[in-house]
Amino acid sequence: MSKSKETSTIKTAVLPAKSGTKKAILDFLKNAMDKKNFDAVIIPMRVPAGDSFVYVLIKDVSLLKDAFPLSPVMSVQGARVVSSVTRLGKGDMKIAAVMRPCEIRATIELAKFGQVDLENVTLISMDCPGVMPISDFLSDPEKGMKLFDDAVTSWDDSIMRPVCKICDKSSMIAGDIHIGTLGAKKDTFFMIPKTQKGNDTLEKSDIKIDADLDEWHNKVTTLSEEKKKKRNSANKDLKVKTGGIDNLIDTFSQCINCHNCMKVCPICFCRLCYFDSENVKHSAENYLQIAENKGSIRFLPDTILFQTGRMMHMSVSCVSCGSCEDACPASIPVGQIFSMIADETQKAFDYVSGRDINEPTPLVAYKKDELHEMEDAHD
Amino acid sequence: MTKALKINKNAEQGIKEFLRFLLESGKVKGVFSLKKINKEGAVAYSLITDPKDLEDSVPFYPVMPVTAGSLLSRFTLKGSPDKPVVAVMRPCELRGFVELVKREQGSFENVFTISMTCGGVYPLDMAVDKKIEKNLPKYWDAVKKSEIPADVRTACKGCTEFKPYTADITVDLVGNKDIDKQCIILLNTKNGESLADGMDAEFLEKKLDTKKLDVLLDKRAVEKKKLFDEIDKKMNGMDGLIDIFGRCIGCHGCMRVCPICYCKLCEFESPDSEYKPSNYNSELKKRGGVRVPPGTMYFQLGRLTHISISCVGCGACDDVCPVGIPVSTIFKKVGESVQKIFNYIPGKDVKESIPLVTFEKEEFIEFEE
Amino acid sequence: MVEDKEFMPKILAFLCNWCSYAGADLAGTSRLKYPPSILPIRVMCSSRIDPLFIIKAYLGGADGVLVAGCHPGDCHYEKGNYYTRRRFALLKKIFEELNMEPDRLMLSWISASEGHKYARVATEFTEKIKKSGESSVKNKIFL
Repeated sequence: MSKSKETSTIKTAVLPAKSGTKKAILDFLKNAMDKKNFDAVIIPMRVPAGDSFVYVLIKDVSLLKDAFPLSPVMSVQGARVVSSVTRLGKGDMKIAAVMRPCEIRATIELAKFGQVDLENVTLISMDCPGVMPISDFLSDPEKGMKLFDDAVTSWDDSIMRPVCKICDKSSMIAGDIHIGTLGAKKDTFFMIPKTQKGNDTLEKSDIKIDADLDEWHNKVTTLSEEKKKKRNSANKDLKVKTGGIDNLIDTFSQCINCHNCMKVCPICFCRLCYFDSENVKHSAENYLQIAENKGSIRFLPDTILFQTGRMMHMSVSCVSCGSCEDACPASIPVGQIFSMIADETQKAFDYVSGRDINEPTPLVAYKKDELHEMEDAHD
Repeated sequence: MTKALKINKNAEQGIKEFLRFLLESGKVKGVFSLKKINKEGAVAYSLITDPKDLEDSVPFYPVMPVTAGSLLSRFTLKGSPDKPVVAVMRPCELRGFVELVKREQGSFENVFTISMTCGGVYPLDMAVDKKIEKNLPKYWDAVKKSEIPADVRTACKGCTEFKPYTADITVDLVGNKDIDKQCIILLNTKNGESLADGMDAEFLEKKLDTKKLDVLLDKRAVEKKKLFDEIDKKMNGMDGLIDIFGRCIGCHGCMRVCPICYCKLCEFESPDSEYKPSNYNSELKKRGGVRVPPGTMYFQLGRLTHISISCVGCGACDDVCPVGIPVSTIFKKVGESVQKIFNYIPGKDVKESIPLVTFEKEEFIEFEE
Repeated sequence: MVEDKEFMPKILAFLCNWCSYAGADLAGTSRLKYPPSILPIRVMCSSRIDPLFIIKAYLGGADGVLVAGCHPGDCHYEKGNYYTRRRFALLKKIFEELNMEPDRLMLSWISASEGHKYARVATEFTEKIKKSGESSVKNKIFL
């Protein structure tokens, strides 16, 4: 990635955070709403029972003080949220969406599929320490809050989702504005505009964009490279553990075909999934025929078909958020597996999911001369 | 008294021998049963056609990865088999299938059912954590003594319908002290009798010992009351429901695994339930903020309205919920009370119409003003 | 215009075209007095009412929901209201079990000639809802 070239020429804004970054971000949003730069904000809030966090579309500014820009859990992937708000039209509200980088990236992918209308949406990401697996948080929410706060302070990912622990894109600037906390001087944070919309947003809030980004950029690059090493090593181990048809079948032996993974995946937007359609439903005689060929078959069959089929459909857009793994009732490491495959498939097309809204997804674009290594050359 | 078969092997070996006889004699073309599907002992439902593959079958393994009622529905939805198959399933799974047949989502044609007096199943996460094998001795001990095994599904702890209503064949398990050395197979229907015809085993007249079943029934009824009372305390209007369902992530897993939920396109995933910008505008005007994606409570209340009349209390919803909401307790509690006003027991009789598609000319005056 | 500080409930009323809507019309043409709390929605038959409409109304913040149709036996479509009665009983039971203010739902049979009954039901229901107070659901965010 030519990240280093990009960011060393980008200018940033530096904002004060005397009472902490959280309050500073909420103040920025409040001021922007008071100035009518935004009509509404999509941001996590804690549920009344205190045991989870969900996204809320906030129009009443007084609700902002209870919002959590960086929530400990990701109950619903942010891209699904933006899609639910804008899929049927951009509406007349200017909305700021405050989400994790992987959620922003998934939103960008969904925009390419016509599932999201970004015209009135400003996407704001931040440096992400990861999110806790939701079941860990639920077992003791108060403890979870404390653990998460400590993890943010020390930037320690040991309590986070397995895919978060190996995420090298946790500071990727994919949206309009990125909130940088890494490398910032004490009691300050960066607001880094990426797009014209981001620039305009900051200017309308009277925020000067004239500082250098080097400190943030260096810190982020170092961390990202460490994570990349961890990621490569983890993927290698996972490949050995789950590779080969026998290992794959064993890995998914407890899969109950609930399709939770598909349902929570931001990229899987099909209202009627192929693997729920008539195409995979057969008559009794057909099933008996298949059973007779082998002596017995798992019923319902086609678990591996579903998993690899879903990989085929979405891995070029997978953002490695890990929502699938959180939702799996059989504790299958599906997030890690899909994430590993996604790295490979995206690499094969020199594609990074959510990197650029103008970059078409690999399966709808082609070059006349490419991928010869995949062909069976006879000359 | 019913005709019954006695096989002098432990209950699981006995039923397996019966199933082997059915396959080898050609009386059935296939057997649905739980089966160990790999070396690590993962258990899943399988359709078995080769008698040799019955070796690894574990028909009474206390786990329910998927509700067999949904499986049979999928099996028969696009056409019944030409030759008979037999399915071994728990009473709630069978009741689920009966409710599906009433909704034209399956057929009993050429499908014979073997059920048992049921001691309950363990939740899916125990299977995933490989904790079931070492609990098996304790499990069977409890079944023999008409007790509730510790750690079974919440739904099972309070289940008072553990005796199958409509099975062709019932295996006597609960309260039967001799299940380690003999398998008693009750042939309830003509189909059941014809399946057993020709089997080299002792035939006798027997019926289920209702006294032993009542011992368990009483214990389960006490548990059920406890569970319902506990959840009742949390039911204080909308706030109580928001507390319980607030952490719902909208994965709709509960809906997918529910045997009664068969709709190809669920109302709550259809365009009907999508919010347009104008809907958001009006909600925001009213409330100042709205949870997104919207409709969490609407989904739960709506699903209750749709399926509570037929809820069989299997507990699959609890197992699949990633955030541990006590879905089955709520649905079962509401389900039982709505079923009571119609005097309806879901899955008891496939010829009994679902209460919402029939009516009496005079009824429910107490609901009118 | 004097501002009325007293709580005027918003009661959604589903009225069947042939009986209860005509009855409501009659109440109007007869100049019978009843509070301005009713928001009528005309349906062809009370059996058109999917319980989900009522749930949506309740979640949307309606203070009360009235379902009115022809008297059983007099349904314009023969049997529609029999089904309505069952669905309403089911829904009301669900609301009861969940402690969700079942008294905010009402079922009434009002024929086309019963203008007086319509006015009476509207008045009595409004009084009942006034006593229950405003629905707390209309401000809730985490639905």
